[in-house]
Amino acid sequence: MKRFLYASLLALALGACTKDLDQVSPNSIVQTNFWKTDADFLSGLAATYKVFHDVNNGYYGVRGIETSNGRGDDFFIRNDVKDLYQLSTFTNNPTTGTPGSIFTGFYTGIFRANQVIEQAQAATGISADAQKQYVAEAQFLRGLNYMLAATNFGAVPIITKVPVQRSDYFVAQSPEADVWAQAVKDLQAAAAGLPTSYPSAWVGRATKGAALGMLGKAYVYQKNWAEAEKVFKQLAQPSGQAQSPYTYDLMVNFEDNFSKATDNNAESLFEIQNQNVGGSQPWAGENANEALGVTTAQEFAPTEVAGWFEVSPTDKLFNEFKQERTPSGDYDARMYATLVWDYPGAMYYNKPFSAFKLVFGYSSLIRKYQNWRENNEGIWISEINEKVLRYADILLLYAETVTMQGRPAEAYPLLNRIRSRAKLAPLAAGLSATEVMAEIRHQRMLEFFREGQRFYDLKRWDLLEQEIKNSDKVGREFFSSKFAYFPIPQGELNTNPNIKQNTGW
Amino acid sequence: MKNTITQIGGQSARLALLAAGALLLQAPGSAAVAQVLASARPLQEPAAPAAPTVLLRQVLRQWEKQHKSIIAYDSDLVGDKRVPVPSETGTLEEKLGRTLSDLGLSFKRLRSGNYIITPAGTSSATAAAQDITVAGRVVDAKGGGLPGVTVLVKGTTIGASTGPDGEFSLQVPAGSTLVFSSVGFVRQEMAVTGPTTTLRIAMVDDAKELADVVVVGYGTQRREDVTGAIASIKAEDIRTQGTNTVQKSLQGRIAGVQIESSGGNPGSGVRVVIRGAGSLNNNNPLYIVDGVQVDDINNLQPTDIASFNVLKDASAAAIYGSRAANGVVLITTKGGKKGENRMDFNAYYGIQTIAKKIDVLNASQWATVSNAAHDNAGLPRLDIAKNPETLGEGTDWQKEIYRTAPMQNYTLGTSGGSDNFTYNLSGGYLDQQGIVKKTDYDRWNLRVKSDFNKGRVRLGETVILTREYWRNMAGGWGGQGGNPVGSALKMIPVFQVYDPTAVGGYGGAYGPVVNVASPVAQLNLEVPETTTTTAILNGFAEVSLFKGLKYRLNLGYTSTFGSYNDYTFPYQVGALFNNADADLAQNKSERSYFLQEHTVAYDQAFGKHTLQALVGYTYQDTKFNVLSGSKSGMPTGIAVLDAGTTNIASGGYAYESVLLSYLGRLVYSYNDRYVLTGTFRRDGSSRFGPAYKYGNFPSIALAWNIVNEPFFRPAQNVVSNLKVRASYGILGNQEIPDYRYVPLIQPNTNYVIGTTQQLWSGAIQTAFATPDIKWETSKTFDVGADLGFFQNKLNLTADYFVRRNSDILLQVPIPLSSGASGTSPYINAGQITNKGIEAALTYNNQVGDFNYQITSTFTAIDNVVDFLGTGTQQISGGQPTHHGASATITQAGGPVGAFYLIKTAGIFNSQDEINAYSRDGRLIQPSAKPGDVRFVDYNNDGIISQDDRQYCGSPTPKFTYGFGSNASWRSFDVSFFFQGTYGNKIYNGTREDLEGMNLEFNYSPATLNAWTPDNHTNFPRAVINDPNLNSQTSDRFLESGSYLRLRTLQLGYTLPKNLLSAVKLNSCRFYVSFDNLFTLTKYTGFNPDLGRYNAGAAGGGILDRGVDFPHVAYPLARTSLLGVQVSF
Repeated sequence: MKRFLYASLLALALGACTKDLDQVSPNSIVQTNFWKTDADFLSGLAATYKVFHDVNNGYYGVRGIETSNGRGDDFFIRNDVKDLYQLSTFTNNPTTGTPGSIFTGFYTGIFRANQVIEQAQAATGISADAQKQYVAEAQFLRGLNYMLAATNFGAVPIITKVPVQRSDYFVAQSPEADVWAQAVKDLQAAAAGLPTSYPSAWVGRATKGAALGMLGKAYVYQKNWAEAEKVFKQLAQPSGQAQSPYTYDLMVNFEDNFSKATDNNAESLFEIQNQNVGGSQPWAGENANEALGVTTAQEFAPTEVAGWFEVSPTDKLFNEFKQERTPSGDYDARMYATLVWDYPGAMYYNKPFSAFKLVFGYSSLIRKYQNWRENNEGIWISEINEKVLRYADILLLYAETVTMQGRPAEAYPLLNRIRSRAKLAPLAAGLSATEVMAEIRHQRMLEFFREGQRFYDLKRWDLLEQEIKNSDKVGREFFSSKFAYFPIPQGELNTNPNIKQNTGW
Repeated sequence: MKNTITQIGGQSARLALLAAGALLLQAPGSAAVAQVLASARPLQEPAAPAAPTVLLRQVLRQWEKQHKSIIAYDSDLVGDKRVPVPSETGTLEEKLGRTLSDLGLSFKRLRSGNYIITPAGTSSATAAAQDITVAGRVVDAKGGGLPGVTVLVKGTTIGASTGPDGEFSLQVPAGSTLVFSSVGFVRQEMAVTGPTTTLRIAMVDDAKELADVVVVGYGTQRREDVTGAIASIKAEDIRTQGTNTVQKSLQGRIAGVQIESSGGNPGSGVRVVIRGAGSLNNNNPLYIVDGVQVDDINNLQPTDIASFNVLKDASAAAIYGSRAANGVVLITTKGGKKGENRMDFNAYYGIQTIAKKIDVLNASQWATVSNAAHDNAGLPRLDIAKNPETLGEGTDWQKEIYRTAPMQNYTLGTSGGSDNFTYNLSGGYLDQQGIVKKTDYDRWNLRVKSDFNKGRVRLGETVILTREYWRNMAGGWGGQGGNPVGSALKMIPVFQVYDPTAVGGYGGAYGPVVNVASPVAQLNLEVPETTTTTAILNGFAEVSLFKGLKYRLNLGYTSTFGSYNDYTFPYQVGALFNNADADLAQNKSERSYFLQEHTVAYDQAFGKHTLQALVGYTYQDTKFNVLSGSKSGMPTGIAVLDAGTTNIASGGYAYESVLLSYLGRLVYSYNDRYVLTGTFRRDGSSRFGPAYKYGNFPSIALAWNIVNEPFFRPAQNVVSNLKVRASYGILGNQEIPDYRYVPLIQPNTNYVIGTTQQLWSGAIQTAFATPDIKWETSKTFDVGADLGFFQNKLNLTADYFVRRNSDILLQVPIPLSSGASGTSPYINAGQITNKGIEAALTYNNQVGDFNYQITSTFTAIDNVVDFLGTGTQQISGGQPTHHGASATITQAGGPVGAFYLIKTAGIFNSQDEINAYSRDGRLIQPSAKPGDVRFVDYNNDGIISQDDRQYCGSPTPKFTYGFGSNASWRSFDVSFFFQGTYGNKIYNGTREDLEGMNLEFNYSPATLNAWTPDNHTNFPRAVINDPNLNSQTSDRFLESGSYLRLRTLQLGYTLPKNLLSAVKLNSCRFYVSFDNLFTLTKYTGFNPDLGRYNAGAAGGGILDRGVDFPHVAYPLARTSLLGVQVSF
């Protein structure tokens, strides 16, 4: 009897437990149960946008800003974070970490965009309009990532599908022109599918104007002036006023582009949304603890106001600003929004400029994108949105497009809009195309300091070597032509047998 | 050793006896006692009788086991006598009577279950024939009464056995000699001169005999029947060594087992690698404590442990199937003994000091080097370095953080039992302060183990309760110095420790220097504390169903509650670190583990055949959940979340896994010569997809006890034990995180949206899954031999093994361009083979009062990755510094975590040398200047790049070894143990930081000798922007990791017995013990046995194993202890 009892117990135990082997994660949804509703797709898009402000991998997060600006002749990065110092002094190699991070960020965004595109195209539970919107939005994000990848790395893999099997992970690189073509294709599709605006609750998502603007810029980078002009004409009139239905305009006050109170303003075609919401940790990674602001302002702020003074403007920039005064004899209005130096009454973080020490031998400190009207940057988390594309850029690119096609006169109204906002006198009449280009270069240097443009502008103008050597940038002597592109990161070479290193590296 | 009463169970005793070849019971001339002549006749096999017969001694042994009895006999009396296969009916006494009578032998019952074989015709001595009464007590080494010891008058059958407390009383002829013997103890003799009632006999453990029963999975086996590679270590071998954790005390003691400490953190873990790194995923062995799986054994009290049995090969470990690929460590905690009733108290107090500091520059030296580095780069000097001569010594940051730290430990235990139950109860407290100020580890232990039996049923349980507390160091505050140990090296000595004007009160770095947080501020301003409460509960019920068949139910429950508390004060430390508000982060985790095991065991002998069979079913369920919360802005000193006002965050997650198994084992042995073991286990795991859940893990093994062969008899004088073993089996590994076979949607990939900038919650797939992920299998072949010489004074165990892990579970890094490189999917990635030899040698001897034992172990393992992933797959690992490139590559054809580095070839002394170093008219190092390092262009492509990395060595030692000795002379004892490795390399990340001179850190004294145009040295020039990348990861910083360490030295003194009886103590021993007295090594880091342990990294950081990463270091302490062990 007893034996029978034991045997029964044993049998029960054996039978009862086998189903326990089917465990599902209590922490997240499985992929097959996702991508059903609008809410799912909106969540997927949020996850795709957000990569841009990731603290390490985001092109518009702190490391991305340092990486994209650090090599310019207008920028200095101090010897604290070794990778960044190496980058900015042209002593980096493929193992230097930060280019690998932004490379990772581009492809993280692309992988996520691909998911949204594939799943939206296959989804049955959403409306046709919604489907079109989600696909176009994801194509914008994918196109932007490819555009930035081409700019920074040249020939990279083109991936437009979600991998199905392991062999799909190892994609060979395509020529740079093909990467640009992919970016153009995505941006064209995005422009066709996106709305011109959103209700206030959804402001911040990609619009048709954003897609057109990036498309035009992509053409400029490829020196495809004719196509670029066609695109810019859709956004701006020859006078520089916005083309209907768009309502873009320059902010009267240049500084409004770089303060949190005037986020998502009329000048912005596309910007990265930063706010101290979510968790409390900017370095937490992608989880509930992640604070959704950026640490850039704190890292760039001087030590006296709880900053890490990682960067400084060079004197080349400082002097460039001083080249032309306003009719009233003052400095360019943008100079005050961009830099602070020892001008009479200069205040910075509510302290006189004399309270700050210039530790790198340069003459100015950085104001742009800093919370310099506060007392300090003590909480690490800045809420100023990072502008990806401003109307000012559209105007200057438009001006460049017409100038490069031999019509410098058409650049005048566009350039003068920029100049007048800077309180500068209208441009002297009768300049040649070469002279107008020189003016455009000068304006772009002043207008877009710390906006990730200078190095890439010099690159497409073929002026990198000339301008970097002719600067007070630390490490200028180590510049050579290979630095026009980042090396393919060692992390990619170590894992992807189908990829080759860029020339010279 | 001439006169011996023995009982059969102990192989060594029997062998010794055979070797002695002498008659042992001598007649004192008493008429009542039969005389047995001493005989020195040669040992020979008697002529085989016609009927099938068996060796009597074998029959007796079988009966001993069967009836749980001791049958003692004079070996010459039994010798090689054979009997017809006896009938198995009736009681033991009936069987003995039937069998012995034919041989002219008889037996006598000394007490229940205790018999002695005598020549027939002898009768029990009567009191009338005796002259005197002798009484006394038999005790063990610690003074506890020993029940069941056979007491015999030498040369007679007059005898008795001791009672529950070890007491006995006997009528003996005057002038006789008493012989005391018992299983597991060395036989003792004592001459009786007159009547006495106060004889006191202390029995000494016979180490060899105790080892004769080996704990194996789900049971025990006789050493003779063991076919696998099992190493056994007993508590006595490691004693109290002043090590706080169990594993550290095993370092170097077990052949084939590498134990690497992760540094000197109080209460820190270690890495235990059994037979080489077979996996790239998880190399931790399976720990089973009294039948229950535990994650870690660090929390056990070393004095609670009775034995370790390390199952190394497939035959031994296969019964644990899927979890056994990395070996199994079975730990048996101490139980009680029948008839004893004792208490033990142990205490020690000690001090720890840092064993080695790393030299760095003082303030004035630093400024000199810093200025040179800036001058050479054409960059302005740092303000703080402007006047080197005025700076003096500056702050010695290492001096500021290290201290002489006390350590104390107390344990109190009681144990005992009677016929129906035994118990053991112990408690302990350990307080180990760290050599880094503020760090601390406390541990409280309570353990109960008891065992009850009545009739057919046996019940028992082990309950282990532990509470551990750690006060750790801060992790680095997001700066680049790492933890306080790392920061203390890199922090520039010009900066001050204190700044009364700063929030928090500490000084720190300022100016354009690398962000290194002041180590002193870190230690004082952040208080990370962990408290873990663990309950290990195990209960079993065993029922004897019928003869030889037992059912056993084992239920285990382990629960670990973790509590983490991290309070940070508001601070402003230098210019670079500030924290406006107090912060508090807490998390509470619970891990529970439920085990249910049903086993049916059958153990029976049939003549020359013995059979042990086991079948079983086990179910285990592991659950984990964590809840976390954090806030800022609480008033200073208030450390509860309710007091916080800002930065509110909370979180939590959970997981669960199930393992379900069927197991079976068959051990068949024939005539004590041939043993065959077969095991099988089928495991089902919730970690794999539906088609891959189950794995089958069979093994087979053979052993041949050559020593028991008749033909071997002539050699037994010299070779007293000889067994050869061979085994082959398949083990498994399922140690990957849960739920990896389905793609998941990662929540909280959030963004911001709208004019009001609200949280926009995101969710998306961020990692790839592996739907076809399946078991990793480990195929192990082992051939070994156990040898004993000279009555087993000298023992050698040696094994050769090949362990081939295929389908290794590994997160092979995927391209960054996949977009999901942050979490690489687990795949069955390749194959790794470990081949090795391991040997353990012991020698025991006694010369007069001098007893000594010498032990040594030797292990040599060759580790090769056979293939990996796509064939050309390389896995990089081993980041040596905050920004350094990977130092290791794991790829086909090389060892796991091999060093692949750019090689250096000296210094360029002139521009001519640089110009001459060219290829196709192009300079190979165009950025070099005289004084820079020449790198080897290994691939001859004209540039120096990561493609020039070449194999530079392995983190796996060519061999590891340990040797030592325990010795005693009268009341004194001494033990020491050395241990070391040979042939491994270590990448010294600390040197890369301190010798690089490219970052605004403090530097190594070696930089004072940097190359200058006037002083051509072998050390590259100082240049802060380092255009030639002199400081890059290269073989400059790769060092030999070989070492020899005096691991422990202990001296003890046991108080004489006459003193003890006066204070009513059984025993009392005082000792002094020293750990890490010295280490001979060329390695220049803190300590060569770094075992960079990183629980979060793949394989516990096995790819980083040989890389000394200063961010996470905690140097080893040198420890001196004074202790006492009292038994009463």
